[in-house]
Amino acid sequence: MLLGTGVLELKQYPHLQTDFLPWLAAVIIASFLVQFFLQRRLPGSDGLLFPLVMFFSSMGLMMIARLKPVLFIPQLRWLLIGMLVFCLVVFFAKQIRPWLHYQYLLGVTCILLLLLPLVLGTEIGGSRNWLVFGPFQVQPSEFSKILIVMFLSSYLADHRNLLTLPSRKFLFLELPPLRFIAPLLLIWSMALLMFVVAKDLGSALLFFGIAILMTYMATGRKSYIFLAMVFFSAASAFSYFLFAHVRVRFAIWLHPWADPNGQAYQIVQSLFAFGAGGVWGTGFAHGHPGFIPEVHTDFIFSAIGEEFGLLGVILIMIGYAILFYRSILIALACQADQQKLLAAGCGIVFFLQAFIIIAGVTKFLPLTGVTLPFISYGGSSMVSGFILLGLLAALSKKENGHA
Amino acid sequence: MRRRNIHTWILQTTVFLLGIFACLMLYIVYIQVVEANTLAVNPLNHRGTAAAAEVHRGAILDAQGRSLAVTSAEGEREYPYAAAAAAVTGYIGEKIGATGIEGAASRELSGDSEEFSRLGPIAQLLRSSQGNDVRLTIDAKVQKAAYEALGNRRGAVVVLDAGTGAVLAMVSRPSFDPADVEAQWEDLRQRADSPLLNRVLYGLYPPGSTIKPLIADAALTEGVTTQQEIFDCTGKLDLGNGYTIADSHGEVHGRINLKQALMESCNVTFGTLAMRLGGSKLQKAFERFGFAKSLDGEMASTAPHLPDFSRLGKGDTAQIGIGQSKLLVTPISMAMLASSFANHGVMMRPYMIDEVVTPSGTVLRKAQPSQWLKVDTPEQANLIDGFMEQVVEHGTGTSAAVRNIRVAGKTGTAENAAGADHAWFIGSAALPNRQIAFAIIVENSGFGGTEAAPIARKVILSLLDI
Repeated sequence: MLLGTGVLELKQYPHLQTDFLPWLAAVIIASFLVQFFLQRRLPGSDGLLFPLVMFFSSMGLMMIARLKPVLFIPQLRWLLIGMLVFCLVVFFAKQIRPWLHYQYLLGVTCILLLLLPLVLGTEIGGSRNWLVFGPFQVQPSEFSKILIVMFLSSYLADHRNLLTLPSRKFLFLELPPLRFIAPLLLIWSMALLMFVVAKDLGSALLFFGIAILMTYMATGRKSYIFLAMVFFSAASAFSYFLFAHVRVRFAIWLHPWADPNGQAYQIVQSLFAFGAGGVWGTGFAHGHPGFIPEVHTDFIFSAIGEEFGLLGVILIMIGYAILFYRSILIALACQADQQKLLAAGCGIVFFLQAFIIIAGVTKFLPLTGVTLPFISYGGSSMVSGFILLGLLAALSKKENGHA
Repeated sequence: MRRRNIHTWILQTTVFLLGIFACLMLYIVYIQVVEANTLAVNPLNHRGTAAAAEVHRGAILDAQGRSLAVTSAEGEREYPYAAAAAAVTGYIGEKIGATGIEGAASRELSGDSEEFSRLGPIAQLLRSSQGNDVRLTIDAKVQKAAYEALGNRRGAVVVLDAGTGAVLAMVSRPSFDPADVEAQWEDLRQRADSPLLNRVLYGLYPPGSTIKPLIADAALTEGVTTQQEIFDCTGKLDLGNGYTIADSHGEVHGRINLKQALMESCNVTFGTLAMRLGGSKLQKAFERFGFAKSLDGEMASTAPHLPDFSRLGKGDTAQIGIGQSKLLVTPISMAMLASSFANHGVMMRPYMIDEVVTPSGTVLRKAQPSQWLKVDTPEQANLIDGFMEQVVEHGTGTSAAVRNIRVAGKTGTAENAAGADHAWFIGSAALPNRQIAFAIIVENSGFGGTEAAPIARKVILSLLDI
C-alpha cells in the first residue's frame, strides 16, 4: 500500500516545476507518515481510501499552483492540517462514537452552525455562508454536513422501525406519524432556508440530497422519495417565482448563449474550456483556464478539463466513483445499522458533492457553487473532507478487524 | 431479513447514484469529443487569441514570396500592400476579431495548426514561439494592378486560375488599411459605402447580361433551341399585360442565331429562351452551375440569391433570362461560372492558401486543387466559351481584347435599385502558362463594355508582364 501511495505521489509531484518548498516536502513526508500510521493503527482498514484522496489533493495542488500560485502554500498548509485532523479522527474514533447517541444535540448543533453565518456571517462570492475570524474564513456549512450525516445515521438507525411502520395510508402513500418525520421535514426546510437566505444553492441541494438518500437507505420507503420530490418541486417553484437570483440561475442554465458575456460568462467560458481541451487536453500549463472567474475553487474541474482533456476528466470521475464504491463496501461490511448508514452517508457526501459541481460546470444541471472534494481550493472543505474520510477509515477498520 | 433489506436499499441507492454519474460522464464525453471543435472555434472563445498573443505571428506571403502581412520585431502587424490587399489579408484585432486570411488561417499563423491541435502534451512539444507562414496563391502584382484599375470607384475584381481554382487576385473597393482598422472601427463600420464588406464573396448584385452564357447553355442542354435557330429580334419582347423587354439603346438586332445573340447581348432572344425554359428548368441550370451553394474555408462566401422558381410569373421568368428580377449573384460565383466554360465544364474549388510552412521550412500543408462541380460536357462548355470569345473579338467586349491572347468574356449592364447601372465583365483568358477566369463589377458606373471590360485587359496585361 505504501508503494501505491509512493507511485501516486511520484506520478504527481514531478510535474511541479516550482522550487522545492518546505511545505511541499512536509506534505510528502506527512502523506507517507499518515499511510504508515494507518497501517499500524488500523491494520484491517481500507488501504485505498487515503492514497485515492492524496491523488485528488495532488491534482488539486498542481492545478492551484498553476492557476493561483499565491494560494499554493496555504493549500499545502490546509492539506497538512487536514491530514492531522484525519489522524486525530482515526485515533479518537472510539471516543467519538458515543457522540452519536446524542443525536438531537448533533441536530441542534448542526442547525446552529447553519444559522450562525446568517446572523454573523459575511457574504463572499454571492453566498452568505462564511464566518470570518480574524485571518480565518470558515464555512460552517462544510462542517455541518458532517454533523448532518452523523445525526441522520443515528436518528434513522434508531427510528427506522417507527419510520417504516405504516400507521396511516394517504392515497398510495404510506406515511408514518408526523412526529417521526418531523426532523426530516426540518432538515428539508433548513435546506430551503439556506437556499433562500444564504443564497447557497449548492449546499442546499447537497443537504437535501443527503437527507433523501439516507432516509431511503434506512427505510426503503419510496413514499419518502415521493414526499421529498413533492416538497422539492413545491420549494423550487416557490423560490423560482419569488426570488430573482433563482430565476437568473435557471435562465443561465437554459439559455447560456443569450448573454454569453454577462451573466452566463462563467458557464460559457467553462464550456469553452472543455471544448478547448478536447480528448487529450492542451497539456498542463498550456491552456487558458484563467478566463474563468473563480477557476481555483468551484471551476477547478473546468481547468482540469481544459489542460488534461477528457482523459483527465474521466480519471478524476472514476476516482470519485471508486471512493464512493469503497465507502459503500465499508458500509456493507459494518455490523450496526448506525455505522452502515454513517459510512454510506460519508460516501454519499463526497460523491453527491462531486456530482453537483461537475454537473454544474458542464451545464448538465444548473450551476450551484460547491467545492470539488479534496481538489478545489478551500480550508474548510479540505478539513471537513478529511474528517469524513477519518470516519470512513475508522469504520472500515473496526468491522474488518472482527470479520 | 432486516439486514438484507438495508443492504438492498443501500445497493439500490448506490446503483442509482452511479447511474446518474455515468450519465454525466457520457455527457462530458459528448462535450469534449463531439462539441469540442464548435466550442473551441467559437468567436467568443478568446483562447485562440490569447494563444496567438504569446507567439510571433507568421507572415502572409503571395505566390512569389512577397509579404502581404508580417509581424515586426516589436510585435506590430504590418501590411505592406495596405488597402490594396485588404480583401485578401483581412484584419486582426483583439477587440474586433479577425477576417480574411488573418481569420481563416489564424491558427496556422499562430503556430497552432489543425494537425497539431488537441494532441495535448505532444502538441506542446511540437509548437514553437514562432508562428507558421502562410503562402497564398495570390499574385501581389496582379492584386495591385486590379486594385488600381478600379480606381476610386466602388466594385470588385476576382481573378482565378481556371484549371486549379487558385485565386490570383481578389479586390474589393472601397477598402481599408488593415493596420488601422481597430483605430477607425466605428467609422469603418458605419460608413454607407461599407468598406469592410468583401464584395467578391459577400456582395450581392443582379448579374445583368453576364448571366446569358448560362442561359444559352441551359437552352441548348434542355433542347429548347439549337445553334441553327434564327431569332427575329424586333427590339421588343411582349410579355403581356403591357410589359415589354427592350434592347438597350432601342437597338433592333434583326434575324440572328444564338451565337450572334450572345455577341450582341440580345435581350429579346434571351428573354424568349428563359420563357421557353420556364421556372423548373431555369432552377436546374442555376443549381447545375453551383448558384445554390456557398463556399467554405478561406473563400467562405454567401450563396447567390435565387428567386422562387416555382412561383415566377411570365415577366419575371423573361427577366431572369437577362439577369434581372430577383436574381442576385456574388462576383466569385460569376468568376466560377466563367471558369467552368474555360475549363471544359469543370468548376474547380477556389482556394487562396497554397501552403503552410513552419519557421524551419517544413511544409505542413499543401493545397491540392480539387473539382467543385462538374457542370457541363466539355463540348458544350467549349462551344459557349467560343461564343464568349466572339463577344471580345467582335461583340460588346472588345475593350478587353489583348493582342495575341485568346480572351473570352461577357459584358453586363445591370439595372438596380441603388441608382445607375452596375458595369459587369466576366470571362477568361488563355495565357501562355495558364488559363485564367475573372469577374469584374464596377458599381453604378454604366456600361459593362466600357467600364468593366478595360479592367480585365489591365489584369491580363499585368499577368503577362512577368
